[in-house]
Amino acid sequence: MESMLSFLLATLAAPLFPGIILKVKAFFAGKKGPPLLIKYYTLAKLLRKGSVYSTSTSFVFKMGPTVSFATALMALLFFPLAGVKPVFFFHGDVIVLFYIMGIGRFFTILAALDTASPFEGMGAAREAFFSTLAEATVFMVLILFYRMNGSLSFTDYFQSQNPITLMSPNGSLLLFVVVSMFMILLTENSRVPVDDPATHLELTMIHEVMILDHSGPDLALIELGAFYKLFFYAAFISHLLIPAKFAGGAAGGAVFVGTLAMIYVAIGVTESITARFKMNLVPKYILTSFALVTFAAILTTMGLV
Amino acid sequence: MTHITDAVLVIILLSVLLSLGSNRLKALVEIMALQGIMVSLVPLLLEYKAEVHHGGIIFFQIMILIKGVLIPWLLYMAVQRIAIKREVEPIIGYHASLLAGLVVIFVSTIVTQKLHLTLAAGRELLLITAITTLAAGLFLMMSRRKAITQVIGYLMLENGIYLTGTALTKQSHTLYVVEFGVLLDLLVGVMIMGIILHNIKDAFDDVDTTFLGSLKD
Amino acid sequence: METFLVALGLLLTGGAFPLFTHRLFNSMKAGYIFITAVGCLIGLYAVVLPLRNPEIMTVSWSWLHLFTLSFSIDSLSAFFLIPIFFICPLTALYSFHYMNKEQQSGRTAVNFFFFTLLIISMALVVTAKNIITFALVWELMSLSSFFLVMYEYQRDTTRKAGYLYFIFAQAGAMFIFAAFAVAYSHTGSFAFDQFARIPSAAKLIVFFLALVGFGSKAGVFPFHIWLPHAHPAAPSHISAVMSGVMIKMGIYGIIRLYGLLAVTDPIFGQTVLVFGMISGVLGVVYALGKHDIKKLLAYHSVENIGIILIGAGIGMLGVSSGNRAMAGFGFAGCLLHVLNHSIFKSLLFLGAGAVLQKSKSRHIDQMGGLIKNMPITGRTFLVGSISISGLPPFNGFISEFLIYYAAFQGLNQNGSTFILMMLSIISLALIGGLAAACFTKVIGIVFLGEPRSANVAGAVECGLTMTAPMVILALSCLVIGVLPEPFINLVFLGLRDMQGVGAVGPDIIAGIARNLAFAARLFLGILVLSTVLRRIFYMKKEVSRGPTWGCGFTLPTVRMQYTGTSYAMSIVEFFKPFVKVNTSYSGINEIFPTKTTYASRVDDVAEIGLNKAIIGPLLTVLGKMRWIQHGNIQLYIGYIVLTIIVLLLFI
Repeated sequence: MESMLSFLLATLAAPLFPGIILKVKAFFAGKKGPPLLIKYYTLAKLLRKGSVYSTSTSFVFKMGPTVSFATALMALLFFPLAGVKPVFFFHGDVIVLFYIMGIGRFFTILAALDTASPFEGMGAAREAFFSTLAEATVFMVLILFYRMNGSLSFTDYFQSQNPITLMSPNGSLLLFVVVSMFMILLTENSRVPVDDPATHLELTMIHEVMILDHSGPDLALIELGAFYKLFFYAAFISHLLIPAKFAGGAAGGAVFVGTLAMIYVAIGVTESITARFKMNLVPKYILTSFALVTFAAILTTMGLV
Repeated sequence: MTHITDAVLVIILLSVLLSLGSNRLKALVEIMALQGIMVSLVPLLLEYKAEVHHGGIIFFQIMILIKGVLIPWLLYMAVQRIAIKREVEPIIGYHASLLAGLVVIFVSTIVTQKLHLTLAAGRELLLITAITTLAAGLFLMMSRRKAITQVIGYLMLENGIYLTGTALTKQSHTLYVVEFGVLLDLLVGVMIMGIILHNIKDAFDDVDTTFLGSLKD
Repeated sequence: METFLVALGLLLTGGAFPLFTHRLFNSMKAGYIFITAVGCLIGLYAVVLPLRNPEIMTVSWSWLHLFTLSFSIDSLSAFFLIPIFFICPLTALYSFHYMNKEQQSGRTAVNFFFFTLLIISMALVVTAKNIITFALVWELMSLSSFFLVMYEYQRDTTRKAGYLYFIFAQAGAMFIFAAFAVAYSHTGSFAFDQFARIPSAAKLIVFFLALVGFGSKAGVFPFHIWLPHAHPAAPSHISAVMSGVMIKMGIYGIIRLYGLLAVTDPIFGQTVLVFGMISGVLGVVYALGKHDIKKLLAYHSVENIGIILIGAGIGMLGVSSGNRAMAGFGFAGCLLHVLNHSIFKSLLFLGAGAVLQKSKSRHIDQMGGLIKNMPITGRTFLVGSISISGLPPFNGFISEFLIYYAAFQGLNQNGSTFILMMLSIISLALIGGLAAACFTKVIGIVFLGEPRSANVAGAVECGLTMTAPMVILALSCLVIGVLPEPFINLVFLGLRDMQGVGAVGPDIIAGIARNLAFAARLFLGILVLSTVLRRIFYMKKEVSRGPTWGCGFTLPTVRMQYTGTSYAMSIVEFFKPFVKVNTSYSGINEIFPTKTTYASRVDDVAEIGLNKAIIGPLLTVLGKMRWIQHGNIQLYIGYIVLTIIVLLLFI
């Protein structure tokens, strides 16, 4: 019951946090910025509208938003939030989940290619390339976690006897993981410095250009799915940051939400002070995150942790 | 307090890795500043339990000042003055460099295990970090084109040697006296490098080391 | 065992049937397909018993009073018989509409005959019980598939591909026979059961010689060169069987030999694992670089063989380290992937055949939008693509998950095993991502968007006998993905008679199968829910159609679409040291450029290496020996006499 409640809360609150990013960016630019609830307004507006479909598209185009939304929901169903057990969990769910996110990406890419637009094809190619590299990093993190904790489930990672947090006795290696997971968060959720959600030139986009032709409720589903995905990654990192003793209870929930908000602030700060990479430098950026975690994994062979 | 020491060592490893992947000279210098500070902190943290007298404290403060502030500042000025293109210009690409970094740490892990040194508890990571930093410094000197990156590579090498010394010796201040001498040499070296670089730039309009090849007869 | 022989007998009659009736084209095809299907069904039924019953059935004849030909079905053989008897009748059915040239009815009949021979020989390969039998049926399999590849023999490229395949098949067979010879010299017996008695140093030689031979049949990376040539040359249903089923015989050989040798040295597992990782990653990278749809699929076979070998390697390392879960799940993932790959790869080859037949082109950059004209082919191909990318809720994911699971079990160890497990998990993740990239390319460029040529625009859906097998195969992909429990149990049943692989606790297996099934069903449920949600949002909404937003450009043409070449180029270039990319670009030299051209080609480093290291020197040496052949018939007779004398003197 409690799990279901936290899941529902997460699905409702996820669009709130990206508003923080916009606020932070506006602060850095010396502007007032849009209201915190801007994303809810956007969603409501999109849901009221109808859609225009390209004559080039087939049923695959309409499946894209639905599948990517469903995969994002799956991720939240399996992820523990603020010391509360997730709705479902089993040994090995991490592998299943990252692969299910893969199928969401698969259909997003196909939907982009379905429009016959050269720009959307370009975005799709970049998405396919970068997310493949990011997947290597994610699995390296799983390897490291298995070494530290011997489990293959989000719940066991963060809520077992021996949870994985930065404050645990052998947590210093997790510094690597926090840094590289943050890099992966930026990559997978198309944030600066990999992708710029606010740019106006289609040639330089990755994710935004892929969904150019979606409109109305379809676009709303995509946006909502993207918020869930971002929420998932941010929650992942906050679990690493929060000490084990704060898990559970109202205080734990407050600490969790606070940390979560801090991560969104960090994203906003990153976006404000860095410029987007040249496209050919992105693989290097992702490889750096991979190398960081691999460092940590190699160090575990020393019996240091 | 091994926890904080480990964290510092991890940050050093992080800086090594980032330095292999960074493509901007300025960023590289900033990373070196961070690395310098962290490296000079290590012996201080290791001595936490032992008594540190005032001389030691002052000594370490000077160390941080030189490694973390003075040398990076000199390098920064050099970059500002002489480098027209502030890109690193690698001979071995960034992707390959990063993977090479992984291989380096892997090999240094094996080496540390194979050496069977009688290290004090918690010193294994220190030795790994030391060897990695040392080798990565050499790699940086080998794989980058600009003269200034050679200097940075040399700095990193020195950091590695310093850490190796810290790892292998029992705490005795005589070591640091020697180190201090080396550090002063290094400082002078960096200053001289600044002057030489300036002259190279005057002569060749660039600081690319490949041009030095034309000096052979 | 009798049922099995009856099935083979029936298949043989079916194979001979078209030879006599080829004048009646359609009834020949129908009759052949019917008999083959019945034969294969009986064969499938014959498999059930040995899987259920732990006792091993054997049959043997004495041949020429010198050798015994003996066959037996244990659980491993039975497991490998399943894809043979499941895939082959479907591809035979497919050939009814695919082989539609009535003027070539004689050739079609011969093709059918060799197809039957291939089925029978494959079934015999997995049941052969001694060296002689194995060698005989192995050769029969290579030869019959060679004739199948040569179907369009009047084409130059086909002949070249056929000869290349022949050379690889024979060279591979040489290695296998050499391995057997070494084994025979130590045991003095032809029987397979004696292999465990070989001294361990010789076991190493036997295994590695055979690994090269079986590897060249399976398409393991440096020995895969024939695959991307032979598959495009052969008719599509033949490619489907060769890629889906026949190359698995190489895998069977490796696993069988490993079981027979009963070795526990980690070097075996390590080698297999390293070969697997190389094949897996490079196979998919080359697939990304290729734009001939069948060549691309051929490279994907190399990739999937890589995944299968990773599973096998992990299993072998598990046996070496005594880690039962690792051994069991590694081999289980390997075997399940054998089954899965046979399903989705033949599905994809059949789909590719349908596309080729209708669009009359092989280059994917000339296709586009086919899913509108060929809805069934397009949808089934989509299912196959998701499965081969290893994504849930389809079958490819189940086997990859088992391999992942085994690899994670091995992470607890230190030293080289840890490093290898780490590398294999990363390569699996990389392979999965790249395969998804490659198949989004294929689907996106071939089936989605706008048609790029007139032939493609005018394509129509193909006949019922071609779509029916594809639908059946696509459904099987979904069934294994959503109801994995019986199939995971089946795989563990298949492992029962493998020596050295200890049993894994049934609770663990059942638990994993249940969880996988649950996740797949949950995902499907949520997907349905989201679809319903979307429907609700669209109620009473205005939906209209218009052209794609051209980002301000108002005169888009179909040639402006992103091509497969550009889609894959940045990924392929990332792997540059291992992949040779040749590009030629005319460049823009004038202020008002007229015509510019750009072409790129991805060359296989293994092929270049083979040419440089073996073929080049061989040609030089043989060129110098040319004088032996001078056309004088009397001297040739002299050679013969001389040879006989020398032989008589020295032997």
